[in-house]
Amino acid sequence: MTASTLASPVQLNPYRPWPARITSIIDLTPQEKLFELRLIDDATRDAFDFEAGQFVELSLFGVGEAPISISSAPSKQGFIELCIRDSGDVTGAMHAKQCGDIVGLRGPFGRGFPFQEMKGHDVLLVAGGLGIAPLKSLINHIHDDRHEFGKVTILYGARTPSEILFRRQFEMWQHREDFDLMLTVDRPDETWEGEVGLVTKLFDKIDLDPDNTYGALCGPPVMYKYVIAEMRKKDLDVDKIYVSFERRMKCGIGKCGHCGVGHQYVCVDGPVFNYWEAMNLQEAI
Amino acid sequence: MFFKIIAKDEVPDLVRGIATEYEVIGPQAKGTAFVFAPLKDPADLRLDYDMTILPAKRYILPERETLMRFSVEDNEVVEAELDAPRRALFGLHPCDVNSLLLMDNVFLDGGDPDPYYKARRENTLIIGVSCMPAPTCFCDAWGTDETHRGFDIFLTDIGDSYYASISSVRGADLVDRFAKGRDITAEDTAAFQERSAAFKAAFEHEIDTSQLPVLLDAKYDSPIWQEFGEMCLACGACSTVCPTCYCFDVHDELDADQKHGERVRTWDSCQFKDFAGVAHGNFRDSRASRVRYRYYHKQWGYLSRYEKVLCVGCGRCTRACKADINPPRVVRALQTGVVDR
Repeated sequence: MTASTLASPVQLNPYRPWPARITSIIDLTPQEKLFELRLIDDATRDAFDFEAGQFVELSLFGVGEAPISISSAPSKQGFIELCIRDSGDVTGAMHAKQCGDIVGLRGPFGRGFPFQEMKGHDVLLVAGGLGIAPLKSLINHIHDDRHEFGKVTILYGARTPSEILFRRQFEMWQHREDFDLMLTVDRPDETWEGEVGLVTKLFDKIDLDPDNTYGALCGPPVMYKYVIAEMRKKDLDVDKIYVSFERRMKCGIGKCGHCGVGHQYVCVDGPVFNYWEAMNLQEAI
Repeated sequence: MFFKIIAKDEVPDLVRGIATEYEVIGPQAKGTAFVFAPLKDPADLRLDYDMTILPAKRYILPERETLMRFSVEDNEVVEAELDAPRRALFGLHPCDVNSLLLMDNVFLDGGDPDPYYKARRENTLIIGVSCMPAPTCFCDAWGTDETHRGFDIFLTDIGDSYYASISSVRGADLVDRFAKGRDITAEDTAAFQERSAAFKAAFEHEIDTSQLPVLLDAKYDSPIWQEFGEMCLACGACSTVCPTCYCFDVHDELDADQKHGERVRTWDSCQFKDFAGVAHGNFRDSRASRVRYRYYHKQWGYLSRYEKVLCVGCGRCTRACKADINPPRVVRALQTGVVDR
C-alpha cells in the first residue's frame, strides 16, 4: 500500500474549504444574520471572483457544510456577505459564531444572473422572504453600475414587517428616484403603513415595457408559479425571466447528486435558470 | 492495441507476477455467489463467474472514505491524505469496464476532477475478461457488451487460451514479463470472432430502448411511477449494487475529545427519503418520485450531459431488488404504459 499526500494548493482539492474570517455580524431579524467574511489567504481572496446569483459552501468542521447564496455585489472586492437564516445544523452553528471566528468557504459555484446580458435593459426583480438574499447581490451590482440599466423595479414580499430583510436600506431606497422599490407584507402589525398582501398583488401597481425588460425571481418554492404567471400577464418573454432555485447542493461541483432537478444539477447548471429552461425541467416549478 | 495468445494454464503465473507489484482483486466464489475480493491464491480466481454481488466500484470510490482530518477550534484541515494503493482489478466483465468509464465522466470531468477518485483510478490496473450472458444480463441493450478502452489487458476466452487485447504500456510490460504468450494467427482471430458472435447470440431478451428521454418527459405523470413507488421498499439496494451509481453524502465525524474529527464521504442513494431534503422540506418526499428520479437521471439526466445512459446492463439491481423493480421491467412499462406482472 502506498499513500500519497494531496498537493497543498487548495484549488487542487475542490472539497477542501478555504479559511475565512468573520469580520462583521449584523442581526437583520430574529432568525437572520448578515455575515461579512474575508478569505484569509491573500492570493485566494484576490482570485475570488463571482457573479450575482452564485453560491458558496459554508463549511464548519465538526458540523458540516451548507450552500449559501452570496448577498454582496461582485463589484465589492475583498469580502463577501452571506445572509443566513438559523434553520439547520450548519446555519444554527453559524449563528453561534462571533466576529473574528474562522469558518471555511468553498466556491463560488454555479451560474449566476446574466448581468452583462441585462445591461441596457429595464429590470424587474421579485423576491419573497429569504429569496432576497441572492437578489440583493444583483440589486447592489446594478446599483454600482446604475447608468448601464434602464428602469429598475424591485418587488419584495415578507410575511411580517419584522421579517423584512435589509429593511433599513430598503426603506431608504423607497425614496430614491432611480429604483422603484415596493415592499409588502402578508401580516401587518400596528406600525406597518405599507402594502399588505402577497408580492403578486404589487404587479397591479407597476408598468413594464415588455420588449425591453428582464425579470429575475427568487423565493419560496410555492411562489414561482404565481409570480411567473404575473410576469407573463405583463408579456415578459419566457427567455427573459430568470429564476433561482434552492436545492440540497452538497458538493457544488456536479458529483454528489443531491441537487438533481429534472435532468440537471442545480449546483452546476443553476442555481439561476432561464425560465425557458426551467419550464421544461421536471420537478423544477 | 495489440494482441497475444495466453494459454489458460499461464494465467496463474500472470496473476502471481502482477501480485508482486499490485494488490490483486478478483472474482471468487462465496457460498453460492461470487464476489470481488483480494486474491490470496491464484487458484481461487474464478474467471468463469457469472456476476458478482457488488461491483468493483468500491476500489475506486469506496463506500466510506476520509476526505480530510480537521481541528474544530480553528476550523482547519490538519491532514488531507488519501489512500491510492496500486491495485489490479483482475476479471472485470465488459459491463464493469464500461461502468468505470461512465464514472470517469463524472469524477475526472472538466474543471473539478475529484482528486481521490483520480489517484485511485490512475493506480488501478484493469484486466477484463469475456463472459457469457446470465439471464439477468442486458448489456447488449446499451451497447456496453463490448469494450474497446478502459482496460490494460482484456482476455477473451477462445477455448484453451485467451485472446488478449493489450492496450497500455504497463499491460504490455506485465504480459511480457509474466506470461509466455505467443503472437496471434488468423485462426485465433477467427476463433475470437466466433466467440464474440456466440456471446451476442446468447442474450435471451430484447429490450426496446428507443426514445427513452422523450418517453421519460412525455410520460412523466404516468401511473406506472405510482405503481413502482408502491412496490419500492426504499432500501437503496439498487444503488449499492450498481456499478454506475456514484451519488455520495459527506458528513463530519468527531473524535471522542470533540476537538478533532474527520470529514467522511459515504455512498448515498436517491432512493433514501431525505436525499433531496432541504431545511424547509423535501423535494422528493414520495417513493414514486424517487423511483422515477432514479430512472429519469440514469436514462436522461446523465445522457443529457454525457451522451450515454448511466446503466451498463449488469443486472445486479435485478438480482438485488426485493420488489422486482429493474431496468428491463421499467423500460417495458415506459414503452407500454403498463407495469407487467
